[in-house]
Amino acid sequence: MKENLSMLKIENFTKKINNQTILDNFNLEVPHGHVAILLGPSGVGKSTFLRTLNNLEKLDAGKVTLDNQQMDLKTINKTHLSGLVFQNFNLFENMTAEENIIFVLEKSLKLKSKEAKQIATSLLEKYSLTDSKDKYPSQLSGGQKQRLAIARATSIKPKIICLDEPTSALDPYLTSMVAEIINELVKQNYIVIVTTHDISLVKKLNGTIHLMKSGKIVESADTNEFWNNPEKFILLSKFTEIN
Amino acid sequence: MNITYIYPLLYGTLLTLKIAILSTSIGLTLGTILGFSLTTSNKLLNSIIDGITTVIRGTPMLIQIAFFYYALLPTIGIKLTAIAAAIIAIGINSSAYLSQVIKSGILSINKGQTEAAKVLGLTTYQTNRYIILPQALANMLPAIGNELITLIKDSSLASTIGVMELFAQGKNIISQTYDAIKVYTLIALIYLILTTLISIAVTMFERKFKYVKN
Repeated sequence: MKENLSMLKIENFTKKINNQTILDNFNLEVPHGHVAILLGPSGVGKSTFLRTLNNLEKLDAGKVTLDNQQMDLKTINKTHLSGLVFQNFNLFENMTAEENIIFVLEKSLKLKSKEAKQIATSLLEKYSLTDSKDKYPSQLSGGQKQRLAIARATSIKPKIICLDEPTSALDPYLTSMVAEIINELVKQNYIVIVTTHDISLVKKLNGTIHLMKSGKIVESADTNEFWNNPEKFILLSKFTEIN
Repeated sequence: MNITYIYPLLYGTLLTLKIAILSTSIGLTLGTILGFSLTTSNKLLNSIIDGITTVIRGTPMLIQIAFFYYALLPTIGIKLTAIAAAIIAIGINSSAYLSQVIKSGILSINKGQTEAAKVLGLTTYQTNRYIILPQALANMLPAIGNELITLIKDSSLASTIGVMELFAQGKNIISQTYDAIKVYTLIALIYLILTTLISIAVTMFERKFKYVKN
């Protein structure tokens, strides 16, 4: 993996909140067309990592490189390099499903309204939301909200897509649907980072599992390798058995 | 009561409406600026605004209008008509109340939407203008409607500095007709009609924000 320059490389991410170390020299490499699954119980720093990478928290120390270019996280939002799908979706409540996407395309990407509408229509179709395009977020089901949040995050054409606990509010059927979408994003060559403690989701993904503890990765494994030989990965086996 | 008194009452009613609408406009504009400032983490700014609003909310509007027109304006050498002075004084008073309403309205909106907007590359202005304010406004509408109703009633205080609004016109008519019961009843009815119309308008406006209540 190290010879491949076409990747996201996180080096020594450190983040403290109220003098408590949340990320402790955190390192991660994710190539394009690959999903990194950050696994671990609540409070180990999974969400803080995604928030820091997306400039919602200030990074105390560390370096980010994308495709061999060092990135300034302060500009990551303006350059649309990363999209984040929040655990609570955070859709714009005063806009319909279609407007949630059109607004971003017009105001953030500065697209003309006709082009924005075309892109929104095709995204809504892709995520099976055409019939719900005029509904407000409060009128959508959990699965529809999740699909809309993913559609909106991809609308800015980022290189990295982060999903924070994407199945925490979903039933097993919808978990399978989200897994399919994530696998599809991987096929489209996105760098995908998923945080979860939902083993049923992890079982449906093909990528690398990284078990987190106290703000750092303590064990990593390829998904196929892990499910074929779980005994080789002591910490991961223990975590998946408990969960 | 003589029909010729209708004209001064109509003039007074329009002036009352003018004072209430312009004062609310000043109150809303200033209140929005102060309300947004109160949601920031700037402690010094917040303390200053809190201090000003405490003074304004803790003293009678009657004294504020008189102080503004008879003491402050002459001291700093600004000449204003009594109507303009009343509108500004009442507007500033209103901004103190509305700043708290607007602050609560903004804080009632889930912070996550602001974070989502930031990650999607939207500016703070775009986020506040198109996402936060419309939703906050929907939550604030009943309180803003109440403030407008209060200002319609409180505009009668402008009569103390010589503004011939509805109440002052009524007193003038009474001094000529000595028919206090009829005149005060009529004035009270006019105030009631104005405030009821505003309540209906606010309710209709609230229904436009259907996304809040599904």
